[in-house]
Amino acid sequence: MRARFLLLLAAAAVLSAQTAKIPRTPDGKPNFAGVWAGPAFTHVVGSGDTDTPRVTNFDRSKMAPFQPGAEAKFFQPPTGDPRHDDPTELCLPDGHPREALAPYAQQIVQTPDSIVFLYEYMHFFRFIPIGKAHPADVDLTFMGNSVAKWDGDTIVIDTIGLKEWTLSASNGWHSDALHTIERLRHLDPATVSYEITIDDPKIFTRPWSQQFQMKLHPTWSLLEQVCEENNRCQGGVCSSSK
Amino acid sequence: MRLLALALLVSSAVAFAHHAYTAEFDTTKPVKVTGTVSKLEWSNPHIWIYLDVKDDKGNVTNWGFSASPPGMLTRRGITKNSIKQGDVLTISGHRAKDGSNNASGNIVTTADGKETWIGQDQAVNPTEKK
Repeated sequence: MRARFLLLLAAAAVLSAQTAKIPRTPDGKPNFAGVWAGPAFTHVVGSGDTDTPRVTNFDRSKMAPFQPGAEAKFFQPPTGDPRHDDPTELCLPDGHPREALAPYAQQIVQTPDSIVFLYEYMHFFRFIPIGKAHPADVDLTFMGNSVAKWDGDTIVIDTIGLKEWTLSASNGWHSDALHTIERLRHLDPATVSYEITIDDPKIFTRPWSQQFQMKLHPTWSLLEQVCEENNRCQGGVCSSSK
Repeated sequence: MRLLALALLVSSAVAFAHHAYTAEFDTTKPVKVTGTVSKLEWSNPHIWIYLDVKDDKGNVTNWGFSASPPGMLTRRGITKNSIKQGDVLTISGHRAKDGSNNASGNIVTTADGKETWIGQDQAVNPTEKK
């Protein structure tokens, strides 16, 4: 009994030491600023601060059961038309939350009243106010409308206003009722837990969540990524020839 | 050769990359050729490596291989300086559906046999299986 108590005490001390060491802003909040390898990396850091990007999808086993008839809306079979099968072929946006799972770097810029995500892939961004409510009338967009709040050392980001679009690279289609909750917290100074809850009442019977990790890469800076530069898919037709 | 220092990174994941792989390439038509790099297009959304490939009679055909985006390669330590004009490479992948001498570039093998994954997170073709 005494041994177990001491073990718990030691574990708490280690956790407390790790938490204390995380970077913080002058106002004492956890500081997420930096360039990160997001969920779609292996996070095996090699020489030269390398990491390995890998196309990442939501795990089917994590998903909640479908609403009656919604499985067919989610898993729409390929038609051969890239405008339907994967609109990013035509350099259309991947949108939230697919952008968060893109195998590209993302930079976080943080101020006392906002957190900003700069995504390398297609140069999308999310400017997210902290401590504010969603507007009363939100237009449906690819990236949606996001607001954030602090829950202890966790930043909680709530997103609504997403148009019907692909959930992730090969996970089918979400509805315009999609609502996501992202929770970011440091596991250590260079590692952040990224948990996202998918709440789409038109598709799923209940919200479900999946946890990923993000790794800070101190030497990285965002690269230019202009999808249209040398794209071989034009007007809905993909050909390897120019 | 700059690629030599890089470990073979083979993913068996079958998923869409930026562009639906199967829209452009026929996964039933594996291809593996050896040639000399004539041109490198280090641009988005995918890099292209062009090889001059000589047949038994000495005829030269130019092949184009589409590989990962510059950003994804850069994060793995592969840069535009890793592939030079004049390098002799073997590249394997899948042929383009349009019948051209274009293909996906999944694995590049340098003259000393070292292999590097440069592809789009697709299933490797039969010539690439170990």
